[in-house]
Amino acid sequence: MNLESVIFAILGIVAVSGGIVTVFARDVSRMAMGLGTFLVAVAGFFVYWGATFLGIVQLFVYIGGVLVLMIFAIMLVHRSPDGSPTIETRHDVAAIAVAGGLFFLVVTALRGAVPDSVDQGITSGPAELNEAFLGPMLTHFEMGGVLLLAVLVAVVVILGGDER
Amino acid sequence: MSGLAWGALYGLAAGLVIAIAALIGVWGERKVAGRIQMRIGPQELGPFGLLQTLADTLKLVLKEDITPAAADVRIFRIAPLIVFAPIAMSFVIIPYASGFAPLDTSVGILFFMAVPAISVIGVLLAGWSSRNTYATIGGLRAAAQMISYELPRTLSILPFVLLAGSMRPLDIMDEWRWWWIPLTFIAFIVYFISSIAEVNRGPFDLPEAESELVAGYFADYSGIRWAIFMMAEYGGMVAAALFGAVFWFGGYLHLPGALGVIMLIAVATLLAVAMIWVKWTFPRMRPDQLMGTAWKVLTPMALLQLVIVGVVIPWL
Repeated sequence: MNLESVIFAILGIVAVSGGIVTVFARDVSRMAMGLGTFLVAVAGFFVYWGATFLGIVQLFVYIGGVLVLMIFAIMLVHRSPDGSPTIETRHDVAAIAVAGGLFFLVVTALRGAVPDSVDQGITSGPAELNEAFLGPMLTHFEMGGVLLLAVLVAVVVILGGDER
Repeated sequence: MSGLAWGALYGLAAGLVIAIAALIGVWGERKVAGRIQMRIGPQELGPFGLLQTLADTLKLVLKEDITPAAADVRIFRIAPLIVFAPIAMSFVIIPYASGFAPLDTSVGILFFMAVPAISVIGVLLAGWSSRNTYATIGGLRAAAQMISYELPRTLSILPFVLLAGSMRPLDIMDEWRWWWIPLTFIAFIVYFISSIAEVNRGPFDLPEAESELVAGYFADYSGIRWAIFMMAEYGGMVAAALFGAVFWFGGYLHLPGALGVIMLIAVATLLAVAMIWVKWTFPRMRPDQLMGTAWKVLTPMALLQLVIVGVVIPWL
């Protein structure tokens, strides 16, 4: 067992335990912390597979953006003097069914999509990504930009709706 | 294994650098503030009061580490470390000497922007877990401010990525030319202002505004945990100053060898003193002015700078 597999195992344990905390914690702020741990571990996986750019973007977008907004929302929720907001109803059976179905779908979809060797078809550095985005993938890249612009305009319209 | 050992060594070095920078920084801040307010500042302990901060550190370490009865104990205890660790990590991508950056990665610029963003979570958790209205308001303000100012700060660094065609700090330093200083001057102003806001220092210290929020998100912290928050603030300031000195002023390039490193440190010190100067000169901003500055002034300025660089590049 070499060092790389030890790091991989540690990342896996951190990711899984973060996920478990997210699912089973009753305290919402603990859930957010569990989710944060999980997201950091995913960024670690990206870096482990050599996709450093993706790993950093994962940190930037999901930790610095999404998770901060989630904690922001939690802080604005009314909280009782003796504790933080907790999840009262769980819908355990339905949640397990949905999660299981999604897991089945993702695994079936990925089985055909993932190449045999992990080195194949993975663009790692920013230079390769740049070539891909401004070369063969230019249309997709621009379409993504247009979609995001449309989303931004929609948000402005929805939020500004009351003022007119 | 050697990679991990080097990583641990750099981590230790970064921790030490931040600790020393905080020691000197607190002393420097009190001296500069004193001079600005026509006082002398600390002067009793050691020459020019240099040992004052050391005595204060001893006091902070020996003080009782109080956890409020109502606090969410685990999160309350871990929050200062979540604030501090990313700041310490951000030191590793800075090129300190010719061909030397502790972590030489192709996404260095993005790393410097993305990793300190994690400390926002620590600030939010500190404010949240204290179970204290002042701390909660401080945490909310800090999060809003830090997210807003991340945008102009990131935009202000992009001119260098455009000019050098790379996000690897060492590549940018290889391409660096003296006329980048006037060309990227607008970006420097944006970077300087948003860096001050990013480390929550005056006049952007609304999250800890002592006259209205006591100390904001770390109001309930005492002793060593409070000191960790302070170290994170000074560490962030030093990292921002070093980064600015390297990319906007060419860092070590102007003088050969060790002299260049000394020059880098000297320019960074000047920038840090300028940040202290700004803090003790300008009054604290109103929250709406703070947000207005980020979105209506700094972001358009950074975009203008990008346009200028984009127009200039084909003629180079």
